[in-house]
Amino acid sequence: MATEIRAGKQGGERPRASLREVNVGRVALHGLERGGLPILLIIMFAFFALDSKSGTAFTSSGNLRNILGNQAVTGLVALGMVVPLVSGYFDLSVAGTTGITNVAVAATIGPHQWPVIGTIAFALAMGALIGFINGFLVAKMRLSGFVVTLGSYTLLGGLSLFYTKGSFITEKIPASFGQWGSATLLGIPRPFWLLIIVGLVVWYTLAHTPFGRYLESIGSNEEAARLVGINVTRMIWASFVISGVLGAIAGVLETSRAGSASAETGAAFLFPAFTAVFLGATTIRPGRYNVWGTLVGTYFVAISVSGLTLLGANIWVSPTFNGVALIVAVALSTLIARARERRSALAAPNVARQSGNGGQASLQQAGSNASASDP
Amino acid sequence: MQAGSLGRLEDLQISEQTVSGNAVAERPRVEVRNLSKTFPGMRALSDVDLDIRAGEIHALVGGNGSGKSTLIKILTGVYQGDEGGVLRTGDHEIAAEDSSPEFARSAGIHVVHQDLGVFIDMSVAENIALGHGYETAMGIQVRWASQRQRTRRLLERFDIEAEPGTPLRALSQAVRTQVAIARALQDQEDDSEGLLILDEPTSSLPAHEVELLVSTLRRYATRGQAILYVSHHLEEVLDLADRITVLRDGHTVGTFEAAALDEDALIGLIVGRQIDRVFPAMPATTATTPLLEVHNLCAGPLEDVSVSVTPGEVVGIGGLLGSGRTELLRAVFGDLPVRSGEMIFDGKRLKAESPAEAMKAGIAYVPENRAVDAAFHDLPVFANISMANVRDYWTLGRIAYRRMRSDAKLSMAEFLVKASSGEAMLSTLSGGNQQKVILARWLRRKPRLLLLDEPTQGVDVGARAEIYQLVRNAVSEGAAVLLVASDFEELAPIADRVVMLSEGRVTGEVRPPDLTAERLMVAANHRTGATNGH
Repeated sequence: MATEIRAGKQGGERPRASLREVNVGRVALHGLERGGLPILLIIMFAFFALDSKSGTAFTSSGNLRNILGNQAVTGLVALGMVVPLVSGYFDLSVAGTTGITNVAVAATIGPHQWPVIGTIAFALAMGALIGFINGFLVAKMRLSGFVVTLGSYTLLGGLSLFYTKGSFITEKIPASFGQWGSATLLGIPRPFWLLIIVGLVVWYTLAHTPFGRYLESIGSNEEAARLVGINVTRMIWASFVISGVLGAIAGVLETSRAGSASAETGAAFLFPAFTAVFLGATTIRPGRYNVWGTLVGTYFVAISVSGLTLLGANIWVSPTFNGVALIVAVALSTLIARARERRSALAAPNVARQSGNGGQASLQQAGSNASASDP
Repeated sequence: MQAGSLGRLEDLQISEQTVSGNAVAERPRVEVRNLSKTFPGMRALSDVDLDIRAGEIHALVGGNGSGKSTLIKILTGVYQGDEGGVLRTGDHEIAAEDSSPEFARSAGIHVVHQDLGVFIDMSVAENIALGHGYETAMGIQVRWASQRQRTRRLLERFDIEAEPGTPLRALSQAVRTQVAIARALQDQEDDSEGLLILDEPTSSLPAHEVELLVSTLRRYATRGQAILYVSHHLEEVLDLADRITVLRDGHTVGTFEAAALDEDALIGLIVGRQIDRVFPAMPATTATTPLLEVHNLCAGPLEDVSVSVTPGEVVGIGGLLGSGRTELLRAVFGDLPVRSGEMIFDGKRLKAESPAEAMKAGIAYVPENRAVDAAFHDLPVFANISMANVRDYWTLGRIAYRRMRSDAKLSMAEFLVKASSGEAMLSTLSGGNQQKVILARWLRRKPRLLLLDEPTQGVDVGARAEIYQLVRNAVSEGAAVLLVASDFEELAPIADRVVMLSEGRVTGEVRPPDLTAERLMVAANHRTGATNGH
């Protein structure tokens, strides 16, 4: 007993003493870590805005509105990926869901002349069904989420191609439907507002409901989550359904923005969204997938690509930039997550306050869960 | 009882001297001298000496935490010893602090662990090749024919009844162990060099396969192989070993001729006198109506198990690893499908098919493997503590984080968790404090039945006493406890009675005044047959 008391005292004193010394540097470091990407986003913006070659075109209200509006779809796809990732499971099929609902909305509202409400309900139900099937395979059948959703992503692309026969669907789409997505509110495109609203709902669900807490605990340790009475299967399953619905919302918005549909649409969102999710995990709540970081990541990629294009860069720049950004993002977010694990007890109060904000899980877990569920 | 074992000890010390007096002047194959090992805050080994002769099966025994694994890890170069120790095998001698895997390899020290480390879906030949390198043509193409031939020669040399092409899955566990041994020893020219260490080789073997392995080992030893045999099965050790070295709390108790010992004497040596570990006595049971009755339960490896526990009672579940202890707790917690039998909880039939249902009935489960089954390492302490009752904080459409944090703070104080704050990541806490966090998670729910599986594993002595103090508090408030603990010195004072399990069946029950660590060890080592605390 005596030794225990002594150990306890030491354990209490040491951190307090050193905490005072390191506090200033540590707070600055944390600020930089959390705010790094938003700051970089602003620097990038300023650079393209002030550059003589790209400046005028870049800062034109048309270009800015275009970025904000177009990238709302990417942002929605990225949010769809975030939800299952919090519990440690990849969902690559979101972009495929966006693609096929894009086709479904254009076909029902155009050639088949469905009312707008009916067509939206149909698309959302379709997204939910796709998520339900993915969830069944991953949560219930315990197949690898990464592989299953890669399969369903490809399959959905194939079905879209089957329906469209490779051509665009533009016929009879009511002009009013297309106008919704082009209109602005307070000078900001409506799609961006939609993205913010959906972002708020997803953030609330992850951070402030038991469901969100459960997803985070599953992402942290699935077995332990099961043994505190959490119905792990049902939670993961539900996260895939939500993911599917978010993909469908993105599909509806894309149809309105583009006024058309093609089987190629979905593929365009996969990589930017994926990159945004991992970039997002380097900021706001470093080392964890999070809603606001993901949105910052979405626009970081978009602004960079737009700016580079206006600087006269070739078409190869965009995919190259996406690839590099994805690798840098996954490296940074993983290293941050690892460093956080290693951080000693003295840093704990600072680190933990961030994680109190809400419900997202560690990146390392995502990787290990994804591989653990491989048969 | 203490005096008795002390008396026996003295007798044995004399016989040890006789042994060393008779010892042949021949230099032992392996020598360990003055080996110590200090971990931060803990001395795992103190001046340990060990001699192993050529052609000898030398057993190493001791309770949990006695230093057996540390000794093996230093011999194989996983750990380095403190300064001043010396290791020697044959002509290879090294200072203990310089021990390394390279030294172990050059000195021919090979270890075969309990889990064997074999690849169950690969053939015998490939398993052998993975320890040595494939037979290749020009270093690229595998020459399967000569690989098979080489394997066949090894199988003959080690008397293994298997074909090179057979996948290990098709072989019995004993033969798999033989293959693992052959793989470890294949580079040895003959049996007059090196040391083979077997770590609990029979713990996963069915009784009839133990015979096969034991006779194989005898044959290897006859040819001159030195074998260090680590096991909990004392009957087996006494039957198989030539000499036995006993470790207790990191000290060498002595090396004894196996023939001079019987099981009681050996247990006396392992347990020694009660060490100054004080556990709180549990209050006497007053209730008589059982809270939980398990009748003829069959689930997983469990066959026909019946157990009951009343409020305020601590029932220990004794037995060796793999006896079905953990599965019993999991079945009660609704985490293991029940084939037949029934459970009555509080007078009603318990039909828990998931942990959530068991929790609703008032059952709590602290699992054995904290890291895998209980800890959320990258979540803060307050979230870990609250995880089993998140729903209680779901009010007005959001989670009351403020209340969750302040409640967690109270729980940390109540359950003696030492952490810089509730915001600290669980991974930054010591093992003992992590365990108290897990205990707090469940005890704050005021469970009626507490299932504890090795609650003090990987926890230092001080924290152990605190953990049992917390359990005691719950018990005096009327909770019933089913407690699994491998450390019988811990189980004996804490449990009101202990139900012994072996190979999935209840083999007996030990009650006071027979409830001592010695008696439990005797009961656990009987593989079959009733041991009703006779």
